[in-house]
Amino acid sequence: MNHSPAFSVYLAGWACCSLDETLPGRLGFPAVLPDKRRIPASVRRRTSQAVQLALTAGLLACEDAGLNPADLPAVFASAGSEMQVTDRLCIELAKPDGWISPTLFHNSVHNTAAGYWSIVTGCQQPSTSLAAAEATVAMAWLEAWCRLQSGARSLLVVCYEEVWPDYLEPGVGLYPAALAWVLSDLPDNAKAILGRPEPSAAALEGDDARLAHECPALAAAPLFRAVSAGKTGGDMALGAGWSIPLKSCGADE
Amino acid sequence: MAPLTSPVAITAWQCQSVAGSSNAALRQALRENRCRLAPPGFVSLPFPTVVGEAPDPMPAIAPARKDFDCRNARYALAALEADGFRDTIETVRDRYDAGRVGVVLGTSTSGIYDSEQAYMHFVRHGRMPEDFNFFRRHAVQATAEFLRKELALKGPCYAVSTACSSSAKALGSAQRLIHTGVCDAVLVAGVDTLCRLTLRGFHALDLISPSPCRPMDAERCGINIGEGAAMLLLEKTCRDNRDCPHLLAVGESSDAHHMSTPDPEGKGAEAAMRQALAMANIEPEQVGYVNLHATATRLNDLAEAKAISRLLRDRVPCSGIKGLVGHTLGASGAVEVVATLVAMLEGFLPGTCGLETPDPEVKLQLLRDPEENDQVAFALCNAFGFGGSNASVLLARSGMALASP
Repeated sequence: MNHSPAFSVYLAGWACCSLDETLPGRLGFPAVLPDKRRIPASVRRRTSQAVQLALTAGLLACEDAGLNPADLPAVFASAGSEMQVTDRLCIELAKPDGWISPTLFHNSVHNTAAGYWSIVTGCQQPSTSLAAAEATVAMAWLEAWCRLQSGARSLLVVCYEEVWPDYLEPGVGLYPAALAWVLSDLPDNAKAILGRPEPSAAALEGDDARLAHECPALAAAPLFRAVSAGKTGGDMALGAGWSIPLKSCGADE
Repeated sequence: MAPLTSPVAITAWQCQSVAGSSNAALRQALRENRCRLAPPGFVSLPFPTVVGEAPDPMPAIAPARKDFDCRNARYALAALEADGFRDTIETVRDRYDAGRVGVVLGTSTSGIYDSEQAYMHFVRHGRMPEDFNFFRRHAVQATAEFLRKELALKGPCYAVSTACSSSAKALGSAQRLIHTGVCDAVLVAGVDTLCRLTLRGFHALDLISPSPCRPMDAERCGINIGEGAAMLLLEKTCRDNRDCPHLLAVGESSDAHHMSTPDPEGKGAEAAMRQALAMANIEPEQVGYVNLHATATRLNDLAEAKAISRLLRDRVPCSGIKGLVGHTLGASGAVEVVATLVAMLEGFLPGTCGLETPDPEVKLQLLRDPEENDQVAFALCNAFGFGGSNASVLLARSGMALASP
């Protein structure tokens, strides 16, 4: 087993999903709308924007990688996760006669998207749900890298954020979006080769920094822009003082 | 193939709960096995129940870190200030280098108790209070950032929030950070505090017991919620820490069944336990104790009991401590791992407070009372959460029990 920081992971597939049609212009790569046909009606009826974005992006990333979602461990990452559900519950709690819906309550956990993901795909593999505020995407990469170095052969990462109520963290949570990718320890048909996320002086710049602030799930946008343009980017900033080496694009190494 | 990880040493631990503020108080409570749950003091509820509320005042957050000030951070600070735990972490930080020491938090509530107060203001005045700070109090990583600043650590810092398996899974993330060489040591914290959202939410699901809960009992009628702040310091193994207890593996699985109820056959629970054993190359016959998740809801208890019966039959002593300290939700994994260590190292196994007549469908060797037993080399601690998120933590009493590297 290779435990060196040089251990590489291979990008097998990726996808972006957003409800905001202005977003692809800022991202520099396509983003699709949540796909209702991919999510069973029984789940669609009772789930949030966050869950539907995460599920669509996750399913499309698996499709892009040519892998069965049921076979993949998953890392779900969101700075806020179920912001709207939690907001509604907190407002009810603040009323003298507020009503707490049992469905809203169990849908308020941070791992709601991971739970519905396993229900929809039948995936019984491990999943985790994490958060690290501005460093959420960087820590999702790190968790994924560690899992791939600890015996997972391939895995799915889904970073997602819905629209946040504007009085909670003004300026954050403006865009509903999910960016998902599948990583593998096998180089076959890799779309990019990446290394270990590291603390770094490389910072997100200009509109990329604004976008990562407005939607923390999109901190990896410059990385995927480079991938989609076939550029080898060197150290790609992930925000919050972290970067990841983009060693090569395309399976040409 | 099961994930591959190497054992890590557990070199220090601390636990705050209704059982008290010191490890000695927890040990005493586990020995006595007397219910500590009582009606809530600071949260008013429209239904009767008992809770595991912090018995002692919590320390104040320093003015320099007031952005982080919430009940969750204060309870975490209480754990840092107890049993010399802060000194231990600072010594380890200086030995390795602050950049090589990470923090992984497991929490489900984070600072939501304080947000509930802020929302009262919001509903009345149409805006949040001036000092409301979502990212540094309410967002799930807030208490992790607080601990990192408090201890001047510089390694990776994040929160795992998978409902009631949060801090058990945080142990797994921390173990991988060390195994892969990203960190030399990781502080794992499981911190959850009482709030109305969880109390009223579980009540809406009809899962709250009005009286002290009775895990695995024929007469059980639901859970009691507690608050807890438990910390474990994980370090890479070396000759000096070989006689410390070790974390061998955290097995994980997903039920793919339902958001709030487990797979009735406990298939996910079994998969998590089996994975933990496979990762560490430990046979089921070597497991000497199982600390049960045992929340005292019928569905949870039966699913877990079936899973353990298939894996270990009725050979292994099992007990659960939620009748003593309540269900500390996202903190329960860390709280119950500390409880298991505290008892195991003292030569006893915890009892199951509240258990009188075991459910006849539960075919396990249930410990009603604490039992003298200094023979346990390997123990499993289970934690299962909403979303079908399962984790099983495999512990070794000492690194000496492991094959030499």
